[in-house]
Amino acid sequence: CSKSFLEKVPQGQLSDPQVISSEGVEGLLVGAYALLNGNQDGTWGNYASAPSQWLFGEVASDNAHKGSDGTDQPNMNLIEVYQPTSTNDNLSVMWTRYYEGIARCNNTLRVLAADQAGNKTISADRAAQIQGEARMLRAHYYFFLVRVFKNIPYVDENTPPDEAKTKPNDTDVYPMIVADLEFAVENLPVEKINGQVGRVDKMAAEAYLGKVLLYQKQYAEALQHFTNVMAGKDITSMPYENNFDVTTENGPESIFAVQHAISPDGTGDNANVGDMLSGLYGTSPVGCCGFFQPTFDLVNAFKVNEQGLPYLDGSYRSNPYKSDFGLSGAAKDNYQLDVNLRFDPRLDYTVGRRGVPYLDYGTMPGDAWIRLASYAGPFVGKKNQVPVAQFPSHTVSGAAYINDLNVNLIRLADVVLMAAECQIELGNLSEALRLVNSVRARAATIAPISIGDTPAAQYDVKPYPSFPSVEYARNAVRFERRLELAMEGHRFFDLVRWGVAKDVLESYSGFEGGFLQSYRNLTFSSRNEYFPIPQDQIDQSSGTLKQNEGY
Amino acid sequence: HTAEAQGALKKTINITKKRMTLKNFLENLETQSQVKFVYSPSILKSHRIVEVGSLQSNLADVLEEVLAPMDINYKVENEKILLIQNRQELKIVGRVTDATDNAPLPGVSVLVKGSTNGILTDNQGQYSLTVKANDILVVSYVGYTSQEVRVSSGKTTYNISLQSTTSDLDEVVVTGYSAQRKKDLTGAVAVVDIGQLKSQPAASPVEALQGKATGVQIVSDGAPGATPQIRIRGYSTINNNDPLYVIDGVPYEGKLGWLNSNDIESMQVLKDASAASIYGARANNGVVIVTTRKGTKGKATIGLDAYYGVQQARSSAFPDMLNPQQWAENLYQGYRNAGLDPVSAWGRMYGSGDNPVLPDYLLAGGKVGAQITAADVDPALYNYSRDNSTFYQITQANKVGTNWFKELTQSAPMQSYQLSASGGSDDATYAMSGGYFKQEGVVINTGFQRFNFRSNTQFSAFNKKLRIGENAQYSYTENYGIGSNVNVSGDYQGEGSVLGFAYRIQNIIPVYDIMGNFAGSRGGALGNGENPVAISYRAKDDKSKSNTFFGNAFAEYDIIEGLMLRTSFGIRYENWGNIDIVYPNPEFQEGSFNNALTENQGYNTEWTWTNTLNYKPKLGDDHSLNVLLGTEAFKSRSRQLTGGRNNFFILNSLDYLYLSQGSSNISNNSLGNVGSLFSLFGKADYAFKDRYLLSLTVRRDGSSNFGPDNLYGVFPAASAAWRLSEEEFLKDATWLSDLKIRAGYGVTGNQRIPTFQYLNRFSSTIAQSSYPMGGSSFVTGIYQNAYSNQGIKWEEVKSLNLGLDFTLLNGDFDGSFDWYNRKTSDMLYQLPLPAIAIGLGTSPYVNVGDMQNKGVELSLGYHYGRSQQKPFTLDVTANISRNVNEVVSLAPSVTQQVYGNFRSLQTTILKDGAPFGSFYGYNMIGIYQDEEDLANSPTYSGARVGGPKYADISGNGTIGPEDRDVIGSPHPDFVYSLGINAAYKNFDVQMFFNGSQGNDLYEATRYFTDFGTFAGQTSTRLLNAWSPTNTGSMTPSPYQGASDFEYASSSYYVQDGSFFRMKNFQIGYNFPVKTLFGANTEISRFRVYLGATNLFTITNYTGLDPEVSQTNSTFQALGVDFGVYPVPRQYMIGLNIGF
Repeated sequence: CSKSFLEKVPQGQLSDPQVISSEGVEGLLVGAYALLNGNQDGTWGNYASAPSQWLFGEVASDNAHKGSDGTDQPNMNLIEVYQPTSTNDNLSVMWTRYYEGIARCNNTLRVLAADQAGNKTISADRAAQIQGEARMLRAHYYFFLVRVFKNIPYVDENTPPDEAKTKPNDTDVYPMIVADLEFAVENLPVEKINGQVGRVDKMAAEAYLGKVLLYQKQYAEALQHFTNVMAGKDITSMPYENNFDVTTENGPESIFAVQHAISPDGTGDNANVGDMLSGLYGTSPVGCCGFFQPTFDLVNAFKVNEQGLPYLDGSYRSNPYKSDFGLSGAAKDNYQLDVNLRFDPRLDYTVGRRGVPYLDYGTMPGDAWIRLASYAGPFVGKKNQVPVAQFPSHTVSGAAYINDLNVNLIRLADVVLMAAECQIELGNLSEALRLVNSVRARAATIAPISIGDTPAAQYDVKPYPSFPSVEYARNAVRFERRLELAMEGHRFFDLVRWGVAKDVLESYSGFEGGFLQSYRNLTFSSRNEYFPIPQDQIDQSSGTLKQNEGY
Repeated sequence: HTAEAQGALKKTINITKKRMTLKNFLENLETQSQVKFVYSPSILKSHRIVEVGSLQSNLADVLEEVLAPMDINYKVENEKILLIQNRQELKIVGRVTDATDNAPLPGVSVLVKGSTNGILTDNQGQYSLTVKANDILVVSYVGYTSQEVRVSSGKTTYNISLQSTTSDLDEVVVTGYSAQRKKDLTGAVAVVDIGQLKSQPAASPVEALQGKATGVQIVSDGAPGATPQIRIRGYSTINNNDPLYVIDGVPYEGKLGWLNSNDIESMQVLKDASAASIYGARANNGVVIVTTRKGTKGKATIGLDAYYGVQQARSSAFPDMLNPQQWAENLYQGYRNAGLDPVSAWGRMYGSGDNPVLPDYLLAGGKVGAQITAADVDPALYNYSRDNSTFYQITQANKVGTNWFKELTQSAPMQSYQLSASGGSDDATYAMSGGYFKQEGVVINTGFQRFNFRSNTQFSAFNKKLRIGENAQYSYTENYGIGSNVNVSGDYQGEGSVLGFAYRIQNIIPVYDIMGNFAGSRGGALGNGENPVAISYRAKDDKSKSNTFFGNAFAEYDIIEGLMLRTSFGIRYENWGNIDIVYPNPEFQEGSFNNALTENQGYNTEWTWTNTLNYKPKLGDDHSLNVLLGTEAFKSRSRQLTGGRNNFFILNSLDYLYLSQGSSNISNNSLGNVGSLFSLFGKADYAFKDRYLLSLTVRRDGSSNFGPDNLYGVFPAASAAWRLSEEEFLKDATWLSDLKIRAGYGVTGNQRIPTFQYLNRFSSTIAQSSYPMGGSSFVTGIYQNAYSNQGIKWEEVKSLNLGLDFTLLNGDFDGSFDWYNRKTSDMLYQLPLPAIAIGLGTSPYVNVGDMQNKGVELSLGYHYGRSQQKPFTLDVTANISRNVNEVVSLAPSVTQQVYGNFRSLQTTILKDGAPFGSFYGYNMIGIYQDEEDLANSPTYSGARVGGPKYADISGNGTIGPEDRDVIGSPHPDFVYSLGINAAYKNFDVQMFFNGSQGNDLYEATRYFTDFGTFAGQTSTRLLNAWSPTNTGSMTPSPYQGASDFEYASSSYYVQDGSFFRMKNFQIGYNFPVKTLFGANTEISRFRVYLGATNLFTITNYTGLDPEVSQTNSTFQALGVDFGVYPVPRQYMIGLNIGF
C-alpha cells in the first residue's frame, strides 16, 4: 500500500483551493446575504435572531408580549420581564447567528483579497462592489449585535480564527460600522446589481448609515443621508398595506428588506422562520404557535381623539379597550365588538382582535385562536401573517406558520420619521411637522376593515395642525413612530436611544399589569438597556470576553 | 478336575479381616482350604489391596465374589487352583454427549490411558474401540472436563457425558489474529459462556451479553432489534465509546442485530490494552471477538433450534397519573395558588363554576368542553376532511382517564427458528445455517424481523498444508416503528417520540373520537400533547430494510513446519432503504393536513485485507514461542440518497405512495463518506516451562482521518504472567489446580471522529447558503462550514492491568480478579470555538482532554458434581465490576461545558474532575415554607412559598446560574450478575440475575408531568405536593406561571437508578431419544425448554424502566430518561432437535 491509499478528499464539500476564484468569491458573497434572515439552516429555534427582532425589539418593549403560555419558551419570559441571565438561550441564538453573518462577510473579503493578490479573476470594479456589498452586510450584522449586547468584540477579514477567539469586547464598534457603511455608500451602485432586488444598493447604504448616525445622535450628518434617500419620493403615493403583503413587497417604500422565499424543495429554511412562532394558534387556519401578541397598551395607543390625533399625554389608558378579556360564561360567549370606538386605521392592520375580520381567515373569534389569553391578552399580531389564499405558494406545505413575507429592515416611513427626529433635534419643527404629517396623510388613505358594510371602528387619522414646542414635537414623532412601525422591531431600541426606557416601561407595567399578572411590578434598571453577553461565549473565549455591567 | 480341588471349592471359608493385600488374602484361603493357588504375583499385582467384607461362605463363592471384579478367573487343576488375569479383548462402543444438553460431541478423543490406542468420536458422538478389560479410557475434548472410565469385562457400551467448562484451562480462545490456550493468556480477556448467551432470547448477541463478562456493561433496550449500549471498562472518551467487533477475523464497527446468536461458537472480550492493542487505533473501547460455528469431521449433523414466546410490558412500572378530575382540580389549585382566576383561562373547558366540572365532550368543530351544546355534537356535522375550513371533529371526554401507556403497549409474540447442518471429511468441513427471527414490540406498531443465512467451509490440500475456506453471512433485516432502527442506542428518545407523548398528552382525551378516528388535543384548551397511539399507528408502514453481506475468504499455507502464511479478504456490504410516510394529524393541536413521503436508500461497503505470517518453532519442552507479523488494509465507502415529496392524491394505499405521485415540496439529497486504514503489526508470545509467559505486541496504523502531519500512530503493548501453580513449591498443593498472576501495559488509539478535520471545508446548499436574491428566485452561494485543525492526531489510552486467575479443587472453584487503570490522553474534543472566531461553523476536534477509568473486576465460579460425574451438577457464577470514571481535564481554556439541552433544561455537564455525563443543575434542598423562609433564604426571581428552594452554592445570597452544580452521576458504583445452572439427569435449570447499584437517572419526563408544562398529563406525585398543611413534601405546589427556575434542571429530576433484575430463567428437559424413538433412531438430541426473561425487577426508579440508554446531544447524555422503550417480560417455549 502506498501513502496515496490514505489520501482521501472530503465528500460533498469543497476545500480551500477550490474556492479562490471569481465564482468562489461571488458564492461566498451570496452566502453572506444568506444570513440576513437570521438563520443558517433549520426552521425551529431561530427566533431570537429574527430580522424582525420581535423578541428584543418588541417583546422587551411595551408593544408586545411573548404570548403562548407561560411554560412555553420560558427564557423569553425572562427577556420580557427584564430578568435575562447570561445562560438565556435566546442570547446565544442572537449572538451566534449574527457572528456567522460576520464570518461570511469576512470570508468573502479574505478570499476576494486572495484573488486580487493572485489571479485577479475579478475585475477591479466588481471587486469594489463586492467589498461594498460585504461591508454593508457586515455593518448590518454588527449593528444588530451592538444594539442588543452593547459591548461586543470586533473582527474583520484580517483576523484569523486563532486571533479572533481572543478579541476582547471593550472597544466601541460604531466607528467600524460607520466606516463600512461609508465605504458601501461610496462603492455601491444606485441601480441594483444584476437587477436583483435582494442586493444592497447605494440608497440602502445611505439609509443605514443615517440610521447608525442617528443612534450616535449625529443628527445633521444623519439627516443629510436621509434627505438623499427621500429625494424624489412621495410616501403618500405608496400604500401602507403594501409593506405587509407578499404580492407587493419590494415596492418603492422598501429600502432594505430581508428577502424571504420558500425554497425550491418546498422547505422553509430561507423563509421567515424568525417569526414563525407568531402564527395564530388553536382553530385558526395556521394552528401554531401563538406567540408575539400585541399588548393592551399598544392597542389602546391607537385610539384617536375627536381631532383624529393620538392621546400623546397617555390618557389613552383611561377607560381601556380590552376586547373580551376577563369575561366568562355567557358574557364571553355573547361578546359583541363595539364598532363605535375611535381608532387609527393602522390598528386593524397591526392587530387582530375579536369581532374584526382577519385577512381572509374570517372573523377573529377571540380565545379560540389564542393559546392562553389569560396569560398574554386577547390580541394577536397581523403584519407578518399571510392570507389563506396565499398558503399554497407562500407557506411551507403543512406548516403555514412559516411564510415567505419579507421583513423590512428599513422602509421609507422609517426614514421619514428618523429624518423628522433629526429635524426636531436640529430645531426645524416645521420640517418635522411636514414629515410626520406625510406619514399620517398616507395612513388616512388606508382602506377601512369592514364587517359587511360597517367599518370595524370609527377610523380616523388627521395631520397635526402644528408642533407648538420641541417637547410636543418630540413626543408626537415618537408616538407616530410607535404607531407606524409597531411590531416591526424598532420600539425597544428606540426607547433606549431616546433614554426613556425606564420611565416608559415601568409606567407600562403599571397599566398592563392591571390586566396580566405576569407584567405587574416590573422594574427596569440601567443594565436592562442591553442584554448579557451569552455565558457560553464567555466560557469559550477563555475569559477574554467580559460580562456586561450589571449582569 | 480332581476331586480334591473340586471338593475344596465347597469348603467353608471364614474371613474377618477387611483390608489386606491380594497375596495375604490368597494365603489365607490356602491355609483354610488346604488348596494350593498358582499365579504370577506381578500379573495379578498381588500386592494390591483388596477389600473384603466379613465372609462365611464356600470357597467357590468367595473366589467369585472377590476375584471376579478384578477380572481374575480361576481354574481347578489337580490339587491346585490356577489364577489367571483375564485380558480378553473387548470391542466397546459408546456415545459422548454434552452433559448440559445431551448433544452429541463429535471429535472427542477417546484414548486408552498410557497407550496410543484411541479414536475420535464421529459426528453423532459415537465411537468404537477395541480394548482390554481394566483398561482406563481417557475421554477428553477442548472446552470440557476430561473423564476417565475403567472398562470392565462384562460391559461393552460406555456412554459418557462430558461436562463443559469455561474454566477449562486448555480451552483455546481466539485473541488478536491468533489463538491461545486460555491458561496462557497474559492480558485481560473475558471468555463468554456461549451456552448461557444463547439461552436468552434476544435479537442481538450484544443484548444477551449483559452480565456475562466482568467489565462489560450493557444497557438493554426493549425495542425489537434494538442496538443495546455496550461499554467495556467504562467510557474512555467523550466521543464514540462503542467497541470494535472482530467477526471471524474481520473487524467491524456498528450494530450487531444482523447476526444470529445461534451462529456464534465463541465470544471473547479483549478488555485491556495488552490484549487489544494488536487492533491499535480502533481498540480504545475494547474488542469483542466473535467466532462463528465451523464444521467438524464426521457424518453430517442437522439441528433445529426454535422458540416461540410472548412478551409483555411491565405494567406495574407504568407511571401513575392524575385522573381527569384530579388533573383539573390540580390545575385550578395552581391558578388559585398564583392568585389568578382559573375560570377566565379554562372556563370554556371546565365551566364557569369555582370548581372544574368535567365536560361530556371535549371538542365539536371549533368549540371545546363546556362551550359545546347538544346541537354541536350532532354526528351529522362530523366531517373528517383534509381541509381545515371544513374539518369538524366530535370527541367525547374520557372522564376515567386514558391510560396512555396501556394503550401504547401490547402483548407481542417473538419467535426464532434456526436450521443448521455441519460435517466434514478429512480434507473438507462445512457448516451452514439458515434462520428466521421475528419480534413484535410491546409498544404497538413496532417490530423487527430477520432472515439469515450462513455458510462456513474449509478445504485442505497438499497433505493438509494448504487450507482455504470462507465464512459468509447474508442477512435481511426489517424494522418498523420507534426505537427499532436506530444506529445509536437511545437515539429515538425525546419529547416527540410516542413514549415522550405518552407522558405529555392529557388523559381526559380518549384514543378515538366518536367516529373512530383518532382524538387529540385540537381545540386549544387541551394542552399540546399529540396522541401517541395515532403517531405510532401512522408510523406502522415506516419500514426500514437492510441487506447485509458479511464474510471473508482465506487461505493458509504451511511453508515449513511451524511457519504459516495466511491471507484473508473480508467484505461487508450493506444496502438499506427506508420509507417514512407523514399522514395528516388534524386532531393534534399543532397538527396539520400535510402528508409526505420520504424515501432513503444507501449502501456501506468495507473491505479488509489481512496478511499474517505466523512462526512457531519447536524449541524443546521448556520453551514455546509464537511470532506473528502482519499487514492489514481497510477501506470504506458509504453513500445515500434521500428524496421526498408532499401532497399525495390519496393516502390510503401504500401501492400508490411513490415519490413521483407527490405534487409539492420536491426534494432530494445525497451524501457519502470514505475512509481508509493501513496497518503493520507484530506479536510475540513466549513461554518458559509453562510458568513464565511474556507477550509483546506493536501496531502501526495509518488513517485517512488524519492529515499529513500525523498520518501514523504506533501502539505498543507488553504483558507477562507467572503461573505460580507450576512452581515446585506449589506442586504439592493439590487443592490448587492453577494459579496465575498477570500484568500488562499497553497503548491503544481511537480514530473514530468525523473525517477531514485537518482541512477547512466549504459547502453549498439551498438551506445554508442560498439567498432569494431575485425576491423569489434563488442564487446559491457557498460558505465555510468547517474549520481546520491541521495538527489533529490520535486519541490514546494507556492502560495498566494487573490480574489473577485461579482454579481450585480440580476445577470446583475458579475465578479471576483484575485491577486496571486506563488513562485517556490527547482526547479528541470538539473544543467549541466562540462565534467570534467561526460563527456557526463547525469547530475542529483538538487533542486536549484527559480521562481516566479505574476499576476492579471479580468473577467467581463454583462447579459441583462436574468432575465427580454426579447425576446432579450445579454451577454458580458471580461477576462484579466496578469502574470509576473521571474527566481529568478538558482543555486549558475550558473547564466545563454544559450540554443535554432539552427545551429550557440543560441536564448534563462535562467538567474537570467529574465523571463523564454528570448531571448538572440546582441542588434542591427543600420547599420555601412561608414568607419568612422566603425572606431569610437566598432566592431566585419568582421564588414563592411552596416553590423549590435551592442551595446557594456560590454563597452570594441569591440563586442564579452560578449556583448550579453536579447533582448526580449516571455511572453505577458497581454492576453485578449471578448465574445459577443446575442439572439433574435429564433436567436442567438456568437462572440469571443482573443488577446495577448506585447509578443515578435523570427523569427528564418530570419536566412535563410535575410542573404543568404545556398543560400535559400530571404525575400523582402532585397529590402529595407541598401545601401549608403538608409541609414535609418535596414536590412543589402547583402554581400557574411559575418561574422557570422551578422547572430548571435540579436534583428534583435526579433519582436513584439502582436495580436488580431476574434476567433469565430457563428449565429444560432432554428426552432420552433411544427410549423414545427406538435404539436405531437418527435423532440424537431432543430437548424442550421453557424460559422467561425479566421475571422481576427490583428498583425504586419511577420511570418506565431503570435501563436508560444514552441520548445523543453535543456529547452522549447518559441516563437521561425522556421515555425509554421498556424492556419487556418474555415467556417462551423452545425446542432443540438434532439428527
